[in-house]
Amino acid sequence: MVKSVKRIVIAGGGTAGWLAACRLAAWSRAEGRPLDVTLIESTDIPAIGVGEGTWPTMRETLALIGIDEAEFLLASDASFKQGSRFDGWGDGSAGEHYFHPFTPPPPARDPRQLVACWTASPERSYASVMTSQEAVAAADLAPRQRSMPPYAGALNYAYHLDAGKFVALLRRHAVQRLGVQHLDDRITSIEACDSGDISALSTASGHRIEGDFFIDCTGHAALLIHGHCGSGWVDRSAELFNDRALAAQVPVDPCSPVASQTVSTAHRAGWIWDIALPGRRGIGCVYASSFMEDSEAEEVLSEYIASAIPEAGAIQPRRLAFPTGHRARFWDRNCLAIGLSSGFVEPLEASAIVLVELSLNALIDNFPSNRATMPLLANRFNDLFSQRWERIVEFLKLHYVLSERAEPYWQAHRDPVTFPDRLAGLLELWKEQPPSAYDLPLAEEIFPAASYQYVYFGMGGAAPRSLPTPAPAMIAQLDQVAQRGRSLLAALPTNRAYLDALNGDARRLLEGRA
Amino acid sequence: MSRHAILTGDDHAQLRVRTESSAELGDAVMASLTVPIEFRRIQHNFPILFRKDIETGRFSALALLGFENGENLFLEGDRWDAEYKPLAMAIQPFLVGRPAAGDGPSQVHIDLDHPRVAAGGEGVLLFDSAGRPTPYLERIGEMLSELDEGYRASEAFFAALERYDLLEPFFLDVELKNGSKHRMVGYHLINEDKLRELEPGAIAELHTGGHLMPIFMALASLSNLSGLIARKNRRNSDV
Repeated sequence: MVKSVKRIVIAGGGTAGWLAACRLAAWSRAEGRPLDVTLIESTDIPAIGVGEGTWPTMRETLALIGIDEAEFLLASDASFKQGSRFDGWGDGSAGEHYFHPFTPPPPARDPRQLVACWTASPERSYASVMTSQEAVAAADLAPRQRSMPPYAGALNYAYHLDAGKFVALLRRHAVQRLGVQHLDDRITSIEACDSGDISALSTASGHRIEGDFFIDCTGHAALLIHGHCGSGWVDRSAELFNDRALAAQVPVDPCSPVASQTVSTAHRAGWIWDIALPGRRGIGCVYASSFMEDSEAEEVLSEYIASAIPEAGAIQPRRLAFPTGHRARFWDRNCLAIGLSSGFVEPLEASAIVLVELSLNALIDNFPSNRATMPLLANRFNDLFSQRWERIVEFLKLHYVLSERAEPYWQAHRDPVTFPDRLAGLLELWKEQPPSAYDLPLAEEIFPAASYQYVYFGMGGAAPRSLPTPAPAMIAQLDQVAQRGRSLLAALPTNRAYLDALNGDARRLLEGRA
Repeated sequence: MSRHAILTGDDHAQLRVRTESSAELGDAVMASLTVPIEFRRIQHNFPILFRKDIETGRFSALALLGFENGENLFLEGDRWDAEYKPLAMAIQPFLVGRPAAGDGPSQVHIDLDHPRVAAGGEGVLLFDSAGRPTPYLERIGEMLSELDEGYRASEAFFAALERYDLLEPFFLDVELKNGSKHRMVGYHLINEDKLRELEPGAIAELHTGGHLMPIFMALASLSNLSGLIARKNRRNSDV
């Protein structure tokens, strides 16, 4: 008799745990496949809560879970994110920046065509020729109008959100609407059967929760995947040096513009994130302890805040130390690690939450209906996510290697000894041809070739030596991009206006009911 | 109430106009004015009827959208349920203005009290940050000139119809599935029999004046009446 998988136990209740609970419970309902989903979290263990930027994938995830976009925006104090702006990453001179938008260039079979059209107007950035998103984001505009269907945009977009409030929304939704069992308790022991599979988790107040499949969302503690399964850690700090962060939250004027992009500003031994929500800005300093003292980082952060938000008072940043790396095996026997328990890397491209979503997609698309299918599915998952981690490290490293900054930290980043496997070869290839889909041949690549192009050319990567003559059809398509950009600049509301109108409607609705 | 102003980049740099469709934005109307040069586009969705102004004795053309005052069967909540929106509706809250003195070049005017003039930060800007018209305003400008030209040309069209006595009063009894009956009165349409009996010379004259095409478009448009009744029945059964 093959043991079927009916009882899912999720250990840990941060963003990863509650997203897992919501996706699995919603899927079980949609498919008519009975699953008991139980989440055990100890609310006295604080969530890390710095994952405040998502990818566009979050729109589909929320739609699948069954949360309305307006409800999500209001409940999570969220706003729209249309990409990332990198300030000072080139040579560090004043005003120097580039943009990595979420909207890809128009479709082109041969990306050399895109580059050829761009080089015809050398005074403009690659991103600004390929999409109007840079101009739209620079004007603090939203990517959509409220009259559009939920989760649809005039441009591709993601969100900035308050992680604590987002988790509270997911928890409410999971428990009240999706029937997820919730246990607020501390996990004290892990029971295994003879095979080594986990069979139950016991808690401080004496509960014993049996399960067929366990999802480890216990964060850096990695209680199940490491503590029980012994899956080792693959250290990547030789490639990506940052291992500390100072995280601050600065309240803002309720009328101030809400930026439509994450701003990442390089400093002498790392970078600063700046994420705008309607009520506050999350600002944090990421740095490498081998190149910068904590006290120096605090100064860097204070200076940034003082110049970005002069009215801000003194700040008490939260200090975080983090390892860079990932599990050797993400799925071991009947246990899958999702979230920080599976790996962590500096939040330069907001890869934390999207990895949770991709892990859940992969799990649900290949759900282990019974124990017998697990070894094969686990191997497949481990291969896929090992490759994904390779790509993440490679893509993040790409942000550093073309810099011309002179500080030791930046020089160390440019030492080929610190490059991930393929990067040196790719940089050589891109002198001859632009980053293309051929560089990214996996079935489901995490970053598209467009992202490589935006960062590579944004960082000053030279156009290939030989390029074709721009085809009239390609020129016409890019003219349309520019024309549509003019329309969008006129038709899109600012983030602030959008969110104010949304809040106003919600308030009127509440007053109407009262 | 209306408050008309000449549109300028200086006065209306930050003004936004709401372009979606809804009753509160003024779309709940049973008919829209139309002009002969627009008939080809109108006849695809809407019946074209004619109406005589009792005071001036002048005819105008209407695209029929519903059977009762305030009823627009092409407005589904906040969605415009047709491929095309008549020019006279699409240009709102703008209108063609002329300088007080004489017949100078036409100007774009705006009705600042129109519900489409947005109070908050939502809606489409009319001017970009450099003070140039946005693509939306450019399109409005094109539609206004087309409509203006269409109005001027419609005088000759109606004169020709009257010359050959082609307009006849018409009423329509609409019986709905729920048994209720509506009689629509006060409209005119083109008398097809009289049209068929016209001399070749008269037909040639109508053709030369560019009137023949709109006449046939108006006649063809009447096939949309059954579709409009079907919409009315559907809406009744939804209630």
